Amino acid sequence: MIVTTQKPLDEILDFISPYKNILIVGCDGCTQPPRGIREAETLSQLLDLGGKLRNKEFNFKVNTLVKQCDSHLTAVALKDMIDDDVEAVLSLACGLGPQTIAILYPELPVFPAQNTVFIGAEEREAGTIEERCAACGDCVLGLTGGICPVSRCAKSLLNGPCGGSQNGKCEIDPEKDCAWALIIERLEKLGRLQDLEAIQPPKDHQAVARPGKIMP
Amino acid sequence: MSEQITEEIVAVKVSEESCSACEVCYSICPYEAIKRDAETGKAILEIEKCQVCGLCYSACPSKVIDTIYYDLDSLTGYLERAKQKYDSDTLVIMCKGCAPDLAGIERQFGVKKFIPLSVPCVGRIPVEVFLKAITMGIKKINVLACDEDYCRYQRGSPIEGRRIAALNILMEQLGYGTEAITLKRNSLKVQVKEDLCIACGNCVYYCPWDAPKLVSPGNVKVDMDACHGCGLCVSMCPAFALDLDNWEKDRISMLISQLAAEMAPPKVLVFCCQWAVFPSLEDEPDEHTRFIYLPCAARVDTVHIVEAFHTGVDGVLIAACAEDDCKLEGAGGKTQRPVAALQKRLGEIGLGEQLHILTVAPRYPEAFERELLQFSQKIAGIQKGESA
Repeated sequence: MIVTTQKPLDEILDFISPYKNILIVGCDGCTQPPRGIREAETLSQLLDLGGKLRNKEFNFKVNTLVKQCDSHLTAVALKDMIDDDVEAVLSLACGLGPQTIAILYPELPVFPAQNTVFIGAEEREAGTIEERCAACGDCVLGLTGGICPVSRCAKSLLNGPCGGSQNGKCEIDPEKDCAWALIIERLEKLGRLQDLEAIQPPKDHQAVARPGKIMP
Repeated sequence: MSEQITEEIVAVKVSEESCSACEVCYSICPYEAIKRDAETGKAILEIEKCQVCGLCYSACPSKVIDTIYYDLDSLTGYLERAKQKYDSDTLVIMCKGCAPDLAGIERQFGVKKFIPLSVPCVGRIPVEVFLKAITMGIKKINVLACDEDYCRYQRGSPIEGRRIAALNILMEQLGYGTEAITLKRNSLKVQVKEDLCIACGNCVYYCPWDAPKLVSPGNVKVDMDACHGCGLCVSMCPAFALDLDNWEKDRISMLISQLAAEMAPPKVLVFCCQWAVFPSLEDEPDEHTRFIYLPCAARVDTVHIVEAFHTGVDGVLIAACAEDDCKLEGAGGKTQRPVAALQKRLGEIGLGEQLHILTVAPRYPEAFERELLQFSQKIAGIQKGESA
């Protein structure tokens, strides 16, 4: 899932303050935590309350879209939501949402309500969401027991661990697991520790030429 | 100033000296809160374990157990006042755990005009209340109890069922017919709006009874037998695809605007777990305070908190049970995280201090009063600071 964090209300208020009639759209796609209608409705009320502090009154329309990254779906759905009165759009999607809308409505200012941070998975009990994939374009999970060192090791090492691995934790943050300690533990359980004997060549950082573009 | 030592008032008390050591309370208590004295066999109450269900109170044949909530005096006092107010000879006693709104009660029993008596668990209603009601001229008593498997106090609903069966036999012998008292059972469940489901899986994760299932591709399905109606999945659903019988999102929203309009500033709205705070049958809240009783703190919804502030409420207090006291498998504690996240967010616009969550239990009736007073004073202070 694409993981986002909420932008500070002040930053959003700075974006939208020149406008009055604003469409707030959630995204029911993959964003984690979900940024659907509940978040959109809550944000509209918080912005109303925040606007009062600036003596600013807004007129929000609140809705949600199935997945803002799909330009066709979004175009069809936005037709019913955007009329002549709408002066700006505030998107709760990941970075894709505002871009889709910007292309669909070249005349309409669109702002992000989120910062997109990584591709991750939720650890429900801990209440955290952790990065698990770096979209490197050259997946090594088959060699590492299903644990990604590219996204989970601070140095993205392919032949770890480094000397900073301490009691299974990473030297840069004792709250974070050392990915290589996890990999070794897992390969041991699989009886495949000998796999680590092979030295992995330096990673091909051009496996995906940026900006990425593929023909599926 | 000398330190004042006052003993905390407790909601349930056993007068050991008059106890006949019959052991009824000991065997009936669902929480093992009553011990027997090793020598005399008399009952000793461990208040920390007591959940104030009132089962021992209504069952004690020697009347040596006192309770602050819904005792015989306050119940008969209420009946006398309510008989005038509602001008009816039909009484409906309902458990807060399963009672729908008054229109729903009307449908359940086919009665239009009636005296409503809403209590946390019908199991706390002693036989004397029924007899007193009938001597007062009440002709028909309807009781709505929770379906037995969903009784929040485990044994309250089954015990009251047996009590009413015995009472009906007695009433028949006395010539009141076979149907003086009617018992019905009910339970409130989640409502699923499948077309709104975005298949995020929050409900599946949070439900303590594994009632919702998500199959790919598709939407959520809920096993209604497993659902206990705590409302946690509803509060956690990002798509408003779930709702709860009697505590629907829109119904609570309407209640918020209605209560906000009634109050005088500084306005304090309290979202209470109905098992954490018991409303009094006598006192009316003051003009600055209103309560919304929820089926569990699990139904405390961040949307409603924001809405309250948006509607002009100055302070929002949330009263939840401590984890050990939760009647719904700890569901009540699970909304603390989203509430804390919202509080941080509210802090960004200067409202963080105006939201407070606390855990209370009815076993110490004054503890909540104190906390409420303190919070109300804080809100009044913030208000003054703003207007100054």
